Amino acid sequence: MNRKFLGVVFLLALLALTAIGCSNNDSKAGKSDDNSSANVSYKDEINIAVTAQPPTLDSAMTVSQVALDIAGNIFETLYTLNEDYEPTPMLAESVDISDDGKTYTFKLREGILFHNGKEMTSEDVVASMNRWLEKSSRAKSLLENANFVAEDPYTVVLNLENAASDVLIIMASQANFPAIMPKEIIDSAPAEGVTEYIGTGPFQFEEWKQDQYIKLSKYDEYQAVDEEASGFAGKKEAFVEDVFYHFVTDHSTRIAGIQTGEYDIADNIPTESYEQLNSIDDIKVYTFVGGTLTMFFNTNEGVLADVNIRQAINAAFNMDEILLASFVNEELYSLDPSYMNPNQIQWASDAGKEYYNQADLEKAKTLLADAGYNGEEITLLTTQDYAEMYTATTVVQEQLRQLGLNVKIENYDFPTFLETKNDLSKWDIFITSNGYQLTPPQLLAVNPDWAGLNDANVAELLTQIRAADSPEEAKAKWDELQGYLYETLSSTVIGQYNSILATTDKLEGLEVFEAPIIWNTKVIE
Amino acid sequence: MLSYLFKRIYSLIPVLFVVSVAIFLIVHITPGDPAAIILGMEATEEQIASLNEEMGLNEPIVKQYLLWVGGVLQGDFGQSYFMKEPVLDSILSHLGPTISLAILAEIVALIIAIPIGIFAAYRRGSFTDHTLMVATLLGMAVPSFLLGLLLMLSFGVYLQWLPIAGYKPLTEGLWTHLRYLILPALSLGAIQAALVARMTRSSMLEVLNKNYVKTARSKGVKEHKVITKHALRNAFLPILTVIGQSFGTLVTGAVVVETIFNLPGLGQLIINSIERRDFAVIQGIVLFVTLIYVFINLIVDLLYGVIDPRVRLERK
Repeated sequence: MNRKFLGVVFLLALLALTAIGCSNNDSKAGKSDDNSSANVSYKDEINIAVTAQPPTLDSAMTVSQVALDIAGNIFETLYTLNEDYEPTPMLAESVDISDDGKTYTFKLREGILFHNGKEMTSEDVVASMNRWLEKSSRAKSLLENANFVAEDPYTVVLNLENAASDVLIIMASQANFPAIMPKEIIDSAPAEGVTEYIGTGPFQFEEWKQDQYIKLSKYDEYQAVDEEASGFAGKKEAFVEDVFYHFVTDHSTRIAGIQTGEYDIADNIPTESYEQLNSIDDIKVYTFVGGTLTMFFNTNEGVLADVNIRQAINAAFNMDEILLASFVNEELYSLDPSYMNPNQIQWASDAGKEYYNQADLEKAKTLLADAGYNGEEITLLTTQDYAEMYTATTVVQEQLRQLGLNVKIENYDFPTFLETKNDLSKWDIFITSNGYQLTPPQLLAVNPDWAGLNDANVAELLTQIRAADSPEEAKAKWDELQGYLYETLSSTVIGQYNSILATTDKLEGLEVFEAPIIWNTKVIE
Repeated sequence: MLSYLFKRIYSLIPVLFVVSVAIFLIVHITPGDPAAIILGMEATEEQIASLNEEMGLNEPIVKQYLLWVGGVLQGDFGQSYFMKEPVLDSILSHLGPTISLAILAEIVALIIAIPIGIFAAYRRGSFTDHTLMVATLLGMAVPSFLLGLLLMLSFGVYLQWLPIAGYKPLTEGLWTHLRYLILPALSLGAIQAALVARMTRSSMLEVLNKNYVKTARSKGVKEHKVITKHALRNAFLPILTVIGQSFGTLVTGAVVVETIFNLPGLGQLIINSIERRDFAVIQGIVLFVTLIYVFINLIVDLLYGVIDPRVRLERK
């Protein structure tokens, strides 16, 4: 009897193996048939696999990319960005800026209904915007002592202490975006963020299953603007009833899910899977601008507080080598000294390029000898939670060793990394990958909180950029500042990287701008 | 019997006390800050400090501990900073997938392991015995994540018979529920099966040479009855211990498999909570898991009595 049982098990195993071989061919043949049929029907749900559960969907409280991507479907802002990164009206109809640049009068669109059925008026906008000024770290540092007041039910006025050229851009930026929500929700919100997600967007919040998914559903009363869709701006139309954002931390599971059609979109595909996915017929791979990989130096404590030593080691860095190791494929990165998005004409700059990617070991050795380096230990702080940051750090360690430096790596998990970074006695260099910012003052590289940068000249140039009368003048000041950053080397750009997104070949109309844009997207059955 | 039960429960108190102090200290000494994680990479120090203040993390550590223990004694495990819900709710909502998975994996393990173990012992020294034991060795050596990924590739990606990841609760139908659990249960169960099979074999071997088995055979009892009734029942005590331990491991330690198959169970909850530095949840789960472990051991001990009357008699 036992022998029979074993025999059956063995046979079953054999069967499974042969079935694997056969059905692989079958499914390919089946798929090519489907494509030839002319009648296309669409699914009423879309499934997106994201890397992690966001802390909240309250956009003013977080810079978590996942949170902002999801919240962008639910909430809208007065101004948003089109595909050329220009501020474009969304819930506002127009803006009138006073001559001294200190008063912004926004006309609101009329008849916009929140997901709870209430009409949006100036009291909601004022409550939302003032809360944003108070809660958002961006808004707080860039728009000091500003406030919004209602003039009539469809007019709000922003009063500024100082004129600034980038007010609309800050209001339209995705990071910490100022979501417009009903006043009652804000009044009853606890300190750690709103818990009821009611906005005006094309999708409404439905359900949040902890550690599983967030479900959104189509908002039937949505009123689109009558402009062509472009970036986050323009006409939005929901073609699916339900949107599921699944939290899938394991990247091989995200990739397998795209292959089986379990998910329609998977974000944050690791660079090493790029070629593999590209070679699969029914998977589409998108690359889109990601951000800059940036190296920060400790200018306050330790041996690198000496600018001559920083300049010496900077002469040695071979950025191409670091980028190739971190991003694996040449299509996924580019060498460019710009701190700002190189595609953004207003700010892209190559100032300081003579200091960037010198890869001159001999020069570095000479400079180092002159600077008087005596074998002091240099600590590279990193985290393996972000593969590109860790890999880049190991290459930097190797390059510094070739230069004859005494270098060690301190590797922590991400939360510990963040905490250790704040203690200036514990590190000399760290590398982070940072998403693009829309204006120079938003850059972490000029933020004193980030890596201890303490330089009056930087602060002064930032003020001048913001107070500039014309975009050209602002650009000239930024060129000067970027050049100054490279000369003084509080940080250096290593290079620009792309992000990778994979989808099935069943999506129609998907646009990728900063993130996959779910409205205007259809899913073929 | 009842006094025995009380004694066991009484002995829990020092265990839980030590565990609670240890986990509280470990969690709070580990660097990393819940407020920093909630607010994101670019938050200012001032914002982080004010959120920590709101969450009561600036209090002296002894006071925090006493507050926490005081709450736990009243059934209040505290509030999750990240998920903004009571810790007990988080634990209970993540318990379902884990329990389902553990039960299914254990069933898989037993269906494979017990027959293999018995058969190998019965055919001791034969070619089949050796083959089976090598197979179990392999089973123990293959890491569950590797087996999991292979199963996912073959049954999920190529054959598309089963979903590759995710979870549907029992309320959506038994088959829907099971479909999502089969692959993870197989990858977990295979390893436990290897352990249980080896234990079954050695335990059976010992028993099969005993005189009462010889007596049973010589009096003409049918062979399968000798094996199941006389041998297996007597050999079962050590097997039961292993099963109990393996079930404990399954309930508490399916972290990797839960992550690969994206099951929202306790394993994933604890990993996520560590990454989020969600102190209250980490503490809550560790206490909870300790309780489960002790509880399972208690049940195993009580089952001894059911299977072996001698154990019952000795206690009296």
